[in-house]
Amino acid sequence: MGMMTGKEYIESLRALNHEVYFMGKKIKNVIDEPMFQPHIHAAAMIYQLAHKPEYEEVMTATSHLTGEKINRFTHIHQSIDDLVKKVRMMRLLGQKTGTCFQRCVGLDGLCAVYVTTYDMDQKHGTNYHERFKKWLVEVQKHDWMPSGAMTDARGDRSLRPSQQKNKDAYLHIKERTEEGIIVSGVKAHITGAINSHEILTMPTRTMGEGDKDYALSFAVPSNTKGVTFVFSRQTNDTRRLDSPLDAGNPKYGIVGGEAVILFKDVFVPWERVFMAGEYDFTTELVETFAGYHRSNYGGCKVGLADIVIGGSGWIAEAHGIGTASHIIDKLTEMIAMSETCWSCTLACSYEGYKTPSGAYHIHPLLANVVKLNITRMTYEWMRLAQDIAGGKIITLPSEKDLDNPESGSLVEACFTGKEGYPTRDIIKMLRLIENMSVGAGLPEAMHGAGSPAAQKIMIARRGGIDKKVELAKTVAGIKEDKLFEEIVGKKEQNHWKEVKNHIDGKKVQIY
Amino acid sequence: MLWVGIRYCGGCNPQIDRTGLVEKLKEETKKRLLDVAFTTDRDRVTDITLFVNGCTHGCLEEEFLRTGNQRPYLSVKGETVGDNYIAEKDIPAFLVQEMIRQLPLFD
Repeated sequence: MGMMTGKEYIESLRALNHEVYFMGKKIKNVIDEPMFQPHIHAAAMIYQLAHKPEYEEVMTATSHLTGEKINRFTHIHQSIDDLVKKVRMMRLLGQKTGTCFQRCVGLDGLCAVYVTTYDMDQKHGTNYHERFKKWLVEVQKHDWMPSGAMTDARGDRSLRPSQQKNKDAYLHIKERTEEGIIVSGVKAHITGAINSHEILTMPTRTMGEGDKDYALSFAVPSNTKGVTFVFSRQTNDTRRLDSPLDAGNPKYGIVGGEAVILFKDVFVPWERVFMAGEYDFTTELVETFAGYHRSNYGGCKVGLADIVIGGSGWIAEAHGIGTASHIIDKLTEMIAMSETCWSCTLACSYEGYKTPSGAYHIHPLLANVVKLNITRMTYEWMRLAQDIAGGKIITLPSEKDLDNPESGSLVEACFTGKEGYPTRDIIKMLRLIENMSVGAGLPEAMHGAGSPAAQKIMIARRGGIDKKVELAKTVAGIKEDKLFEEIVGKKEQNHWKEVKNHIDGKKVQIY
Repeated sequence: MLWVGIRYCGGCNPQIDRTGLVEKLKEETKKRLLDVAFTTDRDRVTDITLFVNGCTHGCLEEEFLRTGNQRPYLSVKGETVGDNYIAEKDIPAFLVQEMIRQLPLFD
């Protein structure tokens, strides 16, 4: 089986028949449900673009395990070029969907588990890496989308996982048997979970010796017995049941479509277990995943910025203010910020490195800077989009009012713009800007791939402040500056003594 | 006498003290009475090249491999040497072991 098309991907989900709940109802089939369809279409774009010659270079790769052509979302980065192509792919998909396309979490999970299982086996003599590679070949062969399930519910965050009153606050091993493990617990906010074929779990934090049962990574099919999904709400989500116009981005939705995944006594065979108690590798797994994932945000969110900048430019034209200097200034600000984030993500890819497993990893410090910038700049370029679009984005009437034979034409006349810009097109664009700049997309930019505090911890840890202190001390003259002494040809204190004598002797020409 | 050619990266954001590491390596070879000399002279023919990269990216190694050069080398990239994670303090001793392993004449 080769790479799926968008349509084939959607049909493949029909066969899943997994247990999904939303708004208190059990969902028979996710692909026929208008509430989920936009998210599914966004993920389907990944599959579709892989078949387009004009996008093939970034959307596909050659498997280092089988030599087969595969969707890049199942590929383990084998070079700096792969890392760069990954973020180019992220920007492309942001441009094509204007939203989160969800599959990157699983991709980053694949790469992080690949790197960590190799290191774990080197230290502990386990065989997780070989197991993982076998499963990975299946993922590549079937073009599966695995959701990356890292975040646990976490309960009282002042307590360690093993200290929680509610044991299910973290996914954990309940029992080990000869055939496998039995697990229970909760993974929360999992992007693309209900439209993924598999679930790849990872620990959410560093675990201690007492948390061995929580140091856990495995993969199961989404329709595994004991796995239940509860789809989460988003701002204005039920508007998609009212009308396409009101929804804003009716084709691809708003953010990724997150779900809570409940595991109750789920059996996982050993061949699908990639970490079971090796708490000393939880930090590496979490940080490797976080590094990969944070680097993405300078790709996908910049793709979204391309849409919102284009939308803002178009709406300014439609309102007849396209050439106003303050509009040009705001659009320029938006471009400068988004390209700054793009530069960061390219840099963290180009500065990547080869891990002992052979897989390439991004530059962790720079990747965290990418994400921290995104938590700020996305708000700023979306603020400017709101500024340009005007208050209409929060006061527009519904499509039903536009269609009302009694008042519709009068309402529509209120929103006419410049000649040549149909009113309904103006409303479409305003709704898109509303969808992207007012809704769930903003906190997603803040907290997706970890909150700003998490990035700052990594930046502080890897920023090399002690080396910067030494640099400053040298330039300030607190520490010996050998290079300066070579330049002046004497000890620094002798140099300053001579300078003083020179001044005191009134030999300075300007005196 | 075994000659080791030292190459330093630009050190834009180093995770290790590059020159300090080479100093400690020199001490280590001296301590073990190894007949070894270090040079940064690029025109000198050496037995092995030591790349001292400040971070894991390892731009020196990247450039070296791109040229298709087959000569023996060791590459420190932050707290990794080749494919091994090595704490900064342990790198000099590890390098000596690697030199001995790669170049039997050295022992």
